[in-house]
Amino acid sequence: MLKKIAIENISQLASELMEKGNLIAPVKEASGHNFAQISDPQRVDLNYYNTLMSPKSAFFPHKEDFVQYKVGKPLSEAEPTVLNLKPAFLFGVRPCDVKSFEIMDIHFNAAGIIDPYWRARREAATIFGYAYDLSLPVDSADFYNTLGIYAADPEGSDIFMVKKEKELLLKSITPKGEKLLAALSVLADASSADEKYFEEYIKKGKEYKTRYTEVDSEVIAKKLESVFDNTDFWTKVSTACLSCGICTFVCPNCYCFDICDDTLFGKGIRSRVWDACMFTDFTLEASGHNPRTQVYQRLRQKILHKYSYHIRKYGVISCVGCGRCTRQCPVNIDIYSIIEAAMKVK
Amino acid sequence: MTDFKKIEDKLKTETKRLLESGEVTVVLAYGKGFDESHPMPYAAKTIADVENMVFNEYCNYNMARYLVRYPQGTKIAIAVKAADSRAVIQLIQEEKVKRENLVILGIPVQGMKNPKTGEIIDSKTTCGMYNPVLFDMLLGEEVHGAKSASPYEVLSQYEEMDKDARWEFWEKELDKCIRCYACRKACPMCYCDPCFIDQSKPKWADKAPQSPGNMMYHLTRFHHLAGRCIDCGECSRACPVDIPLYLFHKKVAKECEEMFNQKAGMSIEDKPVLVDFRVEDSDKILD
Repeated sequence: MLKKIAIENISQLASELMEKGNLIAPVKEASGHNFAQISDPQRVDLNYYNTLMSPKSAFFPHKEDFVQYKVGKPLSEAEPTVLNLKPAFLFGVRPCDVKSFEIMDIHFNAAGIIDPYWRARREAATIFGYAYDLSLPVDSADFYNTLGIYAADPEGSDIFMVKKEKELLLKSITPKGEKLLAALSVLADASSADEKYFEEYIKKGKEYKTRYTEVDSEVIAKKLESVFDNTDFWTKVSTACLSCGICTFVCPNCYCFDICDDTLFGKGIRSRVWDACMFTDFTLEASGHNPRTQVYQRLRQKILHKYSYHIRKYGVISCVGCGRCTRQCPVNIDIYSIIEAAMKVK
Repeated sequence: MTDFKKIEDKLKTETKRLLESGEVTVVLAYGKGFDESHPMPYAAKTIADVENMVFNEYCNYNMARYLVRYPQGTKIAIAVKAADSRAVIQLIQEEKVKRENLVILGIPVQGMKNPKTGEIIDSKTTCGMYNPVLFDMLLGEEVHGAKSASPYEVLSQYEEMDKDARWEFWEKELDKCIRCYACRKACPMCYCDPCFIDQSKPKWADKAPQSPGNMMYHLTRFHHLAGRCIDCGECSRACPVDIPLYLFHKKVAKECEEMFNQKAGMSIEDKPVLVDFRVEDSDKILD
């Protein structure tokens, strides 16, 4: 099913979605666009390249409270957080970010322990994927082509959107998307010319080139393992690294977290908060020993986790090439260049 | 205007000479990034490293930040712009590095740009000086006669706010913080190990990106830098959510200057104002 709406009327679509549940969409903030829970439909703004922070926080918030308790009181008095399970609409997600959810599912919704919070939010959500604007230049940091993702890839979305001049075309990809699309009264039916435009756009998306290098995940995993001990290499590529947490926080696929107990005046909250392997205290052990005291060790860990260990354990690279880590890095560390350089080490 | 290419050539020649003669083991300067507008902080250790060096209007990084990574006694050459040289001086004052272990390559420069916005940052987010304060040699010609705005000019709007408005302003700005700690990591003066915010006994603030933890982190950091911040602006440029950290640092620097008649990092003979005691020190704070 293909529907359409004029982009200037996007707030009407936003209002209708808000009647049906929680709308999470890009809004313009001082430092760039970000996904936010919408309370004012006028704030939805599709005039962005990609958001500063990844949309992972829609399913995996930076801080998630699990339980509130009183110190010294019995467990039965503790109050676990009840999830708000209204349907959610995650609107305007770029194809590379849509792909990231599938990789995150491995950790939170498939292998080993199922995370009820992630799963509940994921099941409640309908994803509106949104193709990159092919008329604009590609950002030099992006490399999602390398990971087999294209600028107008509908895969993984429930509904996929492309921009046609001043209109937005919306196509249902899954039955869930189809049902929702049929129920949205502000949308108009698309013409056969629109159908054609949409199909062409998807095809043209493959021509929209980001940085690309041939990667075979097996080859890359093996190569990185072989350069693991090459301290000179890692010291060199991490010379500039400040060891801050930006790259991991903006990454759609970084999922490390810390469980924190914060108590004050006998009242406590246990929560899950994002953590970063780039922080010195990430691996600090209770004994005082820290196996990763050096910046190069931490950067190496981040890269090998994504491009080696993750492949060995789950068969896929834990990176979608969205380019956020490179774009936001205060010293321009570029994971793509590091992988390229590693492949050239003899 | 500054001839960036000429400085780059000189930087390469000097690096080669310093490494070849064995005068230093590492030269901290700038190297190629993934494209031209994204150069990176760089450490040249061999002659082969020299070809990767670069200097252009986006080389804002304050290389003084990397000095404390090398063991005491390492012979280091460091490329510094005006504010960066003040950071080196401040580090010498604080005995983190020794003057005799450094070869300071001064870069007088005008027209540095913020790579994210393209705007000229000479005095808005840096100290407004064009010429390095301390150097062993200059890689370009000193800038003379160029009108330089006061580094405190950007404070005019901020200073119009009263106490409550300022508190509200910082509450709003610091609420954006995602606690990536890029500001402290980019700061040449933030070298505490461990940083108070990383301590767990006692735990000074929670980890979540919200108040009061955000306030605790930033206000403490602001005050740790009182009289020490040399106004290079690296914290503000590193911030992924554009918190104007420089406003607070500039305000404190201005007050320190007025009270103690001393600017941070201007002479290796000075002592940091909050370490030093002088009978004539201002009592303004007691009023």
